[in-house]
Amino acid sequence: MSEKIGETQSLCPHCLRTIPADKIAENDNVYLVKTCPEHGTFKVLIWRGVEDYRDLQRYACVFSPPEKIAVQTKGTCPEVCGLCPDHKQHTCLVVLEVTNRCNLKCPVCFASANERYKFHPTIDEIRKMYQTILDYVQHPIVVQISGGEPTIRDDLPEIVKLGKSMGIDYIEVNTNGIRLGEDLDYLRRIKDAGVSSLYFSFDGVTGDVYTKTCGKDLLEPKLRALENCRKVEMGVTLVCVVAPGINLHQVGDVIQFAKKWIPTVKGIHFQPLSYFGRYPKVPEDEDRVVLPDLLREIEKQTNGEIRFDSFIPTSCANVHCDAKSMSVLLEDGSLLPLTTRALGPPRDTKNVATKTRKEICDLWRYIEESVSTSSEEELDGTWLGFIERAKTRYLTISAMPFQDVWTVEAERLQGCCIHTVTPDGKLIPFCLFNINSLDGKTLYRHKVF
Amino acid sequence: MDIKIPDNVKEVIGKRGIKEADIEAVVKEAESSNKKLVKNGRNLAKKKIGDVLVYVDYDIDKGVLSKHAKVNSAYTHRIVLQHIVNADGPSGWTCAHCNEAAAFGHVQMEYMTVKRNGPAVVCAKCGDSWAEEYLATKTLAAVEGLFEKKRA
Ligand code: SF4
Ligand code: SF4
Ligand code: SF4
Ligand SMILES: [Zn+2]
Ligand SMILES: [Zn+2]
Repeated sequence: MSEKIGETQSLCPHCLRTIPADKIAENDNVYLVKTCPEHGTFKVLIWRGVEDYRDLQRYACVFSPPEKIAVQTKGTCPEVCGLCPDHKQHTCLVVLEVTNRCNLKCPVCFASANERYKFHPTIDEIRKMYQTILDYVQHPIVVQISGGEPTIRDDLPEIVKLGKSMGIDYIEVNTNGIRLGEDLDYLRRIKDAGVSSLYFSFDGVTGDVYTKTCGKDLLEPKLRALENCRKVEMGVTLVCVVAPGINLHQVGDVIQFAKKWIPTVKGIHFQPLSYFGRYPKVPEDEDRVVLPDLLREIEKQTNGEIRFDSFIPTSCANVHCDAKSMSVLLEDGSLLPLTTRALGPPRDTKNVATKTRKEICDLWRYIEESVSTSSEEELDGTWLGFIERAKTRYLTISAMPFQDVWTVEAERLQGCCIHTVTPDGKLIPFCLFNINSLDGKTLYRHKVF
Repeated sequence: MDIKIPDNVKEVIGKRGIKEADIEAVVKEAESSNKKLVKNGRNLAKKKIGDVLVYVDYDIDKGVLSKHAKVNSAYTHRIVLQHIVNADGPSGWTCAHCNEAAAFGHVQMEYMTVKRNGPAVVCAKCGDSWAEEYLATKTLAAVEGLFEKKRA
C-alpha cells in the first residue's frame, strides 16, 4: 500500500538541480520520492509513523516572515537564497563561522574542516558579518559562533566582545571543547568577553564512541572541559550527533550523564546524523535515524522517564524540523518532563516564533517574576521548592535532524529559522548552506567561503 | 440574588480570564449549598468549572427587598487540592457547612502528576480546603505557568 500524502521540491543528489518530490506513505513510513531527468529516481526515508507525521501539523505556527531581506528574486527557491521574498520565517539563531580550521580531523564533519578551501576571516570581515546580522535580524539577536573550531582562534575573546559591543544580544560558542579543557584562562576570557553558553559536542559516554566519530578517544578531554565549565559557571548544551551503530544505543546514558552535570549542563541537543561534508558511503534507510526513531530510543533507554510524547515541536521551524522537551530534576534524581503532547499545541502559536527566540534569552524570567520572594515556607516538598528547582535544576532535551541532499524539502527550508551568515551579506538556512552533492559540490558553502 | 461586581474588580477578573457568568455560578452554588468559608460577613467560595477551580471572595448585603452579593475579588487555579496534611493555627475563617473553625494548614496538591504540599485554609471536620488568593495568583500560577510556558 502506497499513498501520496504531499508534494514539495527537493534536490538531485548528483547535480543539485531543483526537482519535484512526492511524499509517499508506505508501510507506515514516509518517503521522499524524486526524479532527476538526468540521474534517475531516488527514494529516501524521511519519517517512521505516518499518523505521527500528519498529526504534528497541528503544531504548525503562523509564520512571521523576516522584515528585511537581502535578495529580491522570487520563485527560485532554493537557488537564489539570501533570504528571499519567498522565505516564510524570520531568523531565530544565526550561525557565524569564524574559521574552518580545526584541532581535530573527524571522519564525520559538517564543515569539512581543513579540506579543499580555507576560511579564516579577519576581524574586519567578521565585523561585516555582524553588521549583516544587525541589518536583517530583529532583537533579541542570538548568534552561535561556529566553525571549524572557533577556539583555535586566540582572538575569539575579541570577536565576542566586538559582537556584544555592536549590539548582538546573546552569543554562544559551538566547540569541541578540547582547548577549553586544557586552558582554563582562555575559557575565563571568552566568558568574560560575553559568551553566554557553549554548544559542546559530546557524542557519548565511552571512549570508543569518540574513536569512531573523531578518530581518537576524547572522553577524558571532554570531561576536563566540562570540569572547567563548572569552575567558571559556564552553561553548556551537550550536542550529540546520533548515528546507528555508533552511539544510538547511548542516548539514555547521555541523559543520565547530563543529569549529574546539572546545573552546568542545561540541555542536550541530539542531531541525528545527516550526510553533509565528509561521510563514507551513500546512506541506506537503515543508516538513517529519523526523528521518531530517536524519540523512541530515548523513551526506551530512559525506561519511560522521558517519553516519546514528552517531545513537542518548538513550533518555530517547520514541525518536522525539531522536537523539544523540558524537565525538572526532582529530589529523587528523576526527571519530570514539563512538556507533553497531551497538553496539545500552544494556544497562541501566532507569536510562538518570538517566544521561542526570547526563550533562549530569558528562559526563566517569567517564573522568577511570578514568585514572591518573601516566604517563610520550607522549600522541601513544597511548590515553592519545586519552582526553585525548576529555575536551577532543569534539563532541556531537543533534537533537530538537519536535512541533507537526500532528505531536503523546500517546505522545511522556507520555514527555517536557523541561518548561516555569509561574508557576502546573506543569511542562508543552515541546512541549505551545508548541503553538498555526492561528489562534494555545494550550492552555497564553497561559493562564498 | 443580585451580584454586584465593582469596576476595579471587573478589571482584575478580566485580566485573570474569569467570566462574570463563572462568578455568578460560584456564588449561587455556595449560597444554596452553604459550602463556603465565612469571616465577619465576608465569604470565600469555590467551584470547579471545566478544569479550573474558581474562587470568589464576596460580601452579602442584605437590602430592604432582596439581598445581594458584592464581589471583592476572584481568582483561579488548576492545581488539584487533595487531602489535608496538617492543620496548624486558627485562621479566623469558619467553615459554614460544618459551622466549625477552619485552620491554616497544608494540603497535598497535584498538578501534571507532581504532588507537593502547599498552604491552605482547611476544615478538619469535612476535609475541605481552600487556597488563598496570594498562593493561587503567585506560587500556583507560577507552577501552572511552568507547564503552560513550555508548550510554546
Ligand atoms: S530557503 Fe528561503 S530564502 Fe532561501 S531561496 Fe528558499 S525561500 Fe528563499
Ligand atoms: S566535526 Fe567539529 S571537531 Fe570534528 S573536524 Fe569537524 S569541526 Fe573539527
Ligand atoms: S536548519 Fe534545517 S532542520 Fe533546522 S530548522 Fe532550518 S531547515 Fe529545519
Ligand atoms: Zn541530477
Ligand atoms: Zn467543614
